[in-house]
Amino acid sequence: MSRAIAILFQTLLAAGLAPLVGGFIRWVKARLNGRRGAPPWQPYYEIQKLLGKEAVVSRTASWIFRATPFVVFSTSLVVASFVPLVAAPAGRFIAGDLFAAVYLLLLGTFFLALAGLDTGSPFGGMGASREMTVVALTEPTVALSIVALALNAGSTSFSQIVSRTLAEPAAALGPGHLLAFAALFIVTLAETGRLPVDNPATHLELTMIHEAMVLEYSGPYLALVEWGASLKLFVFLALAVNLFMPWGIAVSLAPIPLAIGLVTFVVKIGVLATAIAVLETRVAKLRLFRVPELLSASFVLALLAVLSTFLTR
Amino acid sequence: MFSQLVMLGSSGMLLTALIVLWRKHVPAYISAYRLQVWLLAGVTATVGYFTSDWRLFAVAFVLVVLKAIAIPALLRTMLRRFGAQPEVRPYVNTETSLLVAGLLVLFAYVLARPWMAVTDLPTRDALPIAMGLLFVSLFVIVSRRKAITQVIGFLMLENAIALLAAVGTYGVPLLVELGVFLDALMGFLVMQIFVYQIHETFDTIDVEQLTRLRH
Repeated sequence: MSRAIAILFQTLLAAGLAPLVGGFIRWVKARLNGRRGAPPWQPYYEIQKLLGKEAVVSRTASWIFRATPFVVFSTSLVVASFVPLVAAPAGRFIAGDLFAAVYLLLLGTFFLALAGLDTGSPFGGMGASREMTVVALTEPTVALSIVALALNAGSTSFSQIVSRTLAEPAAALGPGHLLAFAALFIVTLAETGRLPVDNPATHLELTMIHEAMVLEYSGPYLALVEWGASLKLFVFLALAVNLFMPWGIAVSLAPIPLAIGLVTFVVKIGVLATAIAVLETRVAKLRLFRVPELLSASFVLALLAVLSTFLTR
Repeated sequence: MFSQLVMLGSSGMLLTALIVLWRKHVPAYISAYRLQVWLLAGVTATVGYFTSDWRLFAVAFVLVVLKAIAIPALLRTMLRRFGAQPEVRPYVNTETSLLVAGLLVLFAYVLARPWMAVTDLPTRDALPIAMGLLFVSLFVIVSRRKAITQVIGFLMLENAIALLAAVGTYGVPLLVELGVFLDALMGFLVMQIFVYQIHETFDTIDVEQLTRLRH
């Protein structure tokens, strides 16, 4: 029973906090640029406003276009319900492991690309083809960094990986762990459409990837797509902080560890979000044809991570 | 702790070699090289600390003075003289280079297996990484077009050998080490004169020009 409540609480927490993370990154970026910036909670107003508006759908759009926002949002929500956020109690928390998390999120991306093609607008098709190019190149890295983590822990289950890192802090200094983290971080930036790969702040037609796919959406549909995208970023950040730096996470469901877990989780997410904001202020967007170079670099990092854990045992 | 630190330093050195394959600007190569030397000095000092061998500290000190301060300064002078044109079209493009580097490291791991089976040094995990660095540096030399990049590849090759000596045998006798340093410095100076000559004669440091007769 307490587990069910914990899962419900965690899902609500993720859905509630996710827009704040995106808004926080935007706010830090604005401060670093010397602007005042919209407050971090601005995305909540945006979602509220969009939910109250009328949705306009193209006459040529099929059911895929209408179903996609729900698929995107619900896959992100399901993943948010079983990744370790505040607590990672031993044993099976709920069905689902690292593979399920990554490929459920990929399902959302797949539907988004379909919806981009569905309306037949040139921008949608362009965005979908670019997104698929990027995703196809990130997939090998994702699979390899999962293998690197799973090899370290002997299992792909989240609680196993977390407890292994908690039990052996020295292993977290090892090259396998650090290289896998670097690889997964680059993948996070690519999959959630952050800066060196895609610029989330503009609608410039020549460079956009994610924005081009969702260009046809309006009203409540757009609100769901945007909320789903911020949930995806939130889940990836949560995976990065909790799988690689799990210190402070609650291993039981008692109140005091949970409170500590909540505080450390918010702090860790805040630190990583600030790091992304600083990175986005410092780097420029890569030309589309240089994106494969970045992604192959991340692939090599993941490959080295697997090598150093697998071949030296 | 010992093997963890050595492992971390050697992996860092391998990553700096990958930076050379990834980036296109020569100043980035020089800073990657400097970082690599600092890491090498760190690994050497760590081995010295845990085996309580004071000579390795001396080696680390000479490393920092000679390779982390003197040689990067010389490289920068060279760069000032030629202007910093990026490595635009290497023989092998960036994506393929990175993948080849990954395969070379894999090959190094396979090659080092028998060696790792017979030693029980705490630093043995770093042996394949040092060999991987050796191969990747060689690959930098053969796959890049600019003479200055090739020089950096050679210097990294030298670092890889020093790393292999540090983790494989806990350093060679001090006299040999000093001889190697002198050799490396002489080699570097000779190469510098070569690069200057190439630049004087052909007005570029693209070694592609050397394959054609001058008209």
